Amino acid sequence: MMKNTSISFLVLFLGVNANAQHSHVQNDTTKTLEEVTITAIAKRKIETEMKMAVSVDEFLASSDNISFIKRGAYAWEPLLNNMSTERSTITIDGMHVFGACTDKMDPVTAYVESNNLSTIDITSGQAGSMHGATVAGSVDLKRKSTPFGLEKKWGGAYQTGFESSNKQFFNLGNLSYSSDRFVADGSIAFRKAGNYYDGNSDVVNHSQYQKFNTAVGLAYKTGELSSVRVDAIYDKAKDVGFPALPMDLWLSRAIITSASYKQLFEDGLLRVWDTKLYFNAVEHYMDDTKRPENLVHMDMPGWSTTYGLASRANLKHGDYSSEIQLNVYDNLSIAEMTMYPQDRSKKTMFAYSWPWVTTRFAGLSMNNSWDLSAMSRLNFGGSLGWNYNHSKYVEFNWIFHPGTPQEKNRILPGLHASYQLNINQFDFSVGTGYGHRAPSVSEGYGYYIYNSFDRYDYIGNPDLKNEISYEANASAGYKNERMDIEANVNYFHIKNYIIGRILSLGSPMNYQSVGVKGYTSLNHARLFNMALNANYDILKHLHWKGMLTYARATDDRNGNLPFIRPLSYQTSLYFMHKDFGIRTSVNGDLAQENYSPEYGEDLTPAYMVWNISADYTFSFRNYKAVLQVGAENLFNEYYSTYADWGNIPRMGRNVFTSLKFNF
Amino acid sequence: MGLIIIQVKKITFFLTAMCFAVASCTKDKTDYEAEIDTLVPEYHEFKEAVAVHSDGYDISIEALNGTFFKGYNEIRLKITDSRTNGKANTSAVTFLPIRNNADGSNVSCPHRYDLVDKPDDGYFSGYSVFTDESGSDGSWELYISFTIAGQTHTVKQPIPVQEQTNKNLNITTFTGKDDQQYFIALVSPQKPKVGENGLVAGIYRYNRPTYPPSGNFPDASQFSYTEVSDYTLQLDPRMPEPSMGNHSSPNNKDLIQQSDGLYHGVVNYTMTGNWTLNFILLNQQGQILKGTIVPTDFTPGVEGVKSELHIDILF
Repeated sequence: MMKNTSISFLVLFLGVNANAQHSHVQNDTTKTLEEVTITAIAKRKIETEMKMAVSVDEFLASSDNISFIKRGAYAWEPLLNNMSTERSTITIDGMHVFGACTDKMDPVTAYVESNNLSTIDITSGQAGSMHGATVAGSVDLKRKSTPFGLEKKWGGAYQTGFESSNKQFFNLGNLSYSSDRFVADGSIAFRKAGNYYDGNSDVVNHSQYQKFNTAVGLAYKTGELSSVRVDAIYDKAKDVGFPALPMDLWLSRAIITSASYKQLFEDGLLRVWDTKLYFNAVEHYMDDTKRPENLVHMDMPGWSTTYGLASRANLKHGDYSSEIQLNVYDNLSIAEMTMYPQDRSKKTMFAYSWPWVTTRFAGLSMNNSWDLSAMSRLNFGGSLGWNYNHSKYVEFNWIFHPGTPQEKNRILPGLHASYQLNINQFDFSVGTGYGHRAPSVSEGYGYYIYNSFDRYDYIGNPDLKNEISYEANASAGYKNERMDIEANVNYFHIKNYIIGRILSLGSPMNYQSVGVKGYTSLNHARLFNMALNANYDILKHLHWKGMLTYARATDDRNGNLPFIRPLSYQTSLYFMHKDFGIRTSVNGDLAQENYSPEYGEDLTPAYMVWNISADYTFSFRNYKAVLQVGAENLFNEYYSTYADWGNIPRMGRNVFTSLKFNF
Repeated sequence: MGLIIIQVKKITFFLTAMCFAVASCTKDKTDYEAEIDTLVPEYHEFKEAVAVHSDGYDISIEALNGTFFKGYNEIRLKITDSRTNGKANTSAVTFLPIRNNADGSNVSCPHRYDLVDKPDDGYFSGYSVFTDESGSDGSWELYISFTIAGQTHTVKQPIPVQEQTNKNLNITTFTGKDDQQYFIALVSPQKPKVGENGLVAGIYRYNRPTYPPSGNFPDASQFSYTEVSDYTLQLDPRMPEPSMGNHSSPNNKDLIQQSDGLYHGVVNYTMTGNWTLNFILLNQQGQILKGTIVPTDFTPGVEGVKSELHIDILF
């Protein structure tokens, strides 16, 4: 296994993976090429403490700096450091993919499946600018990639399961082949779920979904130290209910493809050069005809097409190592609105909610790591990007912003530095960052995008200034044989914070709307996030784990920002003996005292949910199998969280069972 | 190794098939430009609508696309000498449209009686705002007179006036609070676009005759109209469909008169569909002659209330 030098500074995440920070990677000389080096540090598999068969969303939710806006049971919108997806870069193996839904019903994370991912890298703040300009950080979904020349040529897993609350059946399978010159990975996944039941055992209508996902990856070794690889993911979701929204998803499809070339170098400054060309296309069709309360219907199809290039080089010289990445992409986002009265042959209006908006980005990012001593390390880096927008049907933008230019160029700089110190069993780090981001397509060019949370129609503003983030972060940790404790804090002062404000001159258009909001820049906003993680091995077979997070965010008038997580906690016990394991966990939020009525929030009461699961590992011929049975929300608590769109209730008691074969 | 190659081929085939399967979208995108084009015809070219031969002169009357429509029509009149085929040295051209109704009455419509000579362009310029199309209940005739070399010639010519299918060139006729008859005719835009459109309208008043008719028919003093001056036409555009909930737009401008005699303002259409231009007509003193304020509330599911003075348009 080629445990490349590049890994060492991919590891420098202040976020989710506390363990990863301390993994020291030796630089051995084996010439076997491993395609995606990240697997070497993938300590975390795609499973949570409680559940081995999780969705991508459930997995992300177990991270302390990810929270979710939930509009139903499917396609949760991940918030990183309590900031929405506009402020973070979400990529698949460094590839930019943009959802095609104006109402954020399809975050990028909805287009992958847990069995085609190896891990998810979450990087907080400017340190996450490797894949492009960001404020909150980056989430990179790493696909599975089998190394060349494994002793075991064929490998695979099959997983099936059932969840009681929404009668979800799933079947996940993946297969890999590895030889000295050729590697193939394939996966396929089906999920089908009905409506779920809340804690009062009432059905939550329109919460069903169906998902099909498949992925193929082929790699061929072109030389001793070089390889080519092609990858494709196809994802299709159909008949997905969004109980919190006035409409559902009829169909969404994504094809995500890439071809890459990788060259390793045995000595010299340059160690790895990895270049990838990619293409992805997403289509998303909403459906509001299943809701009897809708007297009129609006077709809202959306399309998003992206072409891109990501080229990465890893350098190393003595105690110094560096990663440089060039990111280039071109995205075209189109979304339409066509309204019909009951008689669908008559059309009463047509408009573009995304008037054929092109976004082009080219940027160079760099992360450097310098081991000052055996105990301390300096990380520093930056990025410089060019962001270009073009609105083809600019007349829609001219309604509210007469005469605004059709094109807009922005320069997006970013800088960050951190210092890590390791004294005996203690770890400390301090860091700072500065960076710009461009407004998203909706923030810049959106037109009458209905937000069912505050019930306003949102209008983009092409003339918005760059959002500028000033960031500071720190962490402290202690570790011994039996315990591990770590605290992380970060603080963002964001200039020109983009948010919707009521436009007095606008007239609403969408059926349930109460007014028009335009995206405007606040003078500034401030966000503070804190997380405390601890592990303790009580006995040899009994382990405790706890997590506490808190966040606070205010605007320039000291008002609360929306969707900020109140104090939340999670504590779990894990007992294992021989082939048995049993886990139990309690998690909850305190009441959301600092809510924002201006953005449609109300006080969300505290809740606490108790979960339990047990698993048994056994061998079956040559297969290793795990059987798991568990229950989430064991006491059938009726609750909704601060970020549940329209206060829709969460799932009540959910008994889950799954069986996994590995071979 | 053979197995692998077969595997590769299979997978490559699968990949290729998959790419083709998803390369095309499930639903077609709306061809927005083509849709607007087919919905609203737009004419820029003046063509001969009617030709008359009289007293050795050829009179050619041009209108947009060679057709007279109900509503505002710009008119270009050319007179040539039939013998020389050259331009005749014409002066004092008058133009009077008369509708002969089936009940025997005669009416006219707002028009420019004394056509304006445009020697550089080689025609006489005028307009006619036909209040009805030709039909079984009445037909239109043009009465034209012109003077060449001190001699006055008169011509009478029946013309067809066709229905205006473009609602953006609609017309409304009403009696104001001053008991006078007014006409508002939309002149421009023929083909609106999403966004701000210069909105041009002609506003006319019928001059009620003070004397009984005299001389040969028609007596022009019985059929006289004035372009009203320094009035204000207040504008509030809204989408009246129940599903649109009385939706409106920002940045509209009331229509005020400019040097061409027409009234110019700005209408901002936020999207395509049915719109109503709600008007309030104010005279020089700012008194309301016609029109009512429309509610500004967003009322989904309810048909929008229209001003008593309004014109419906569609694009």
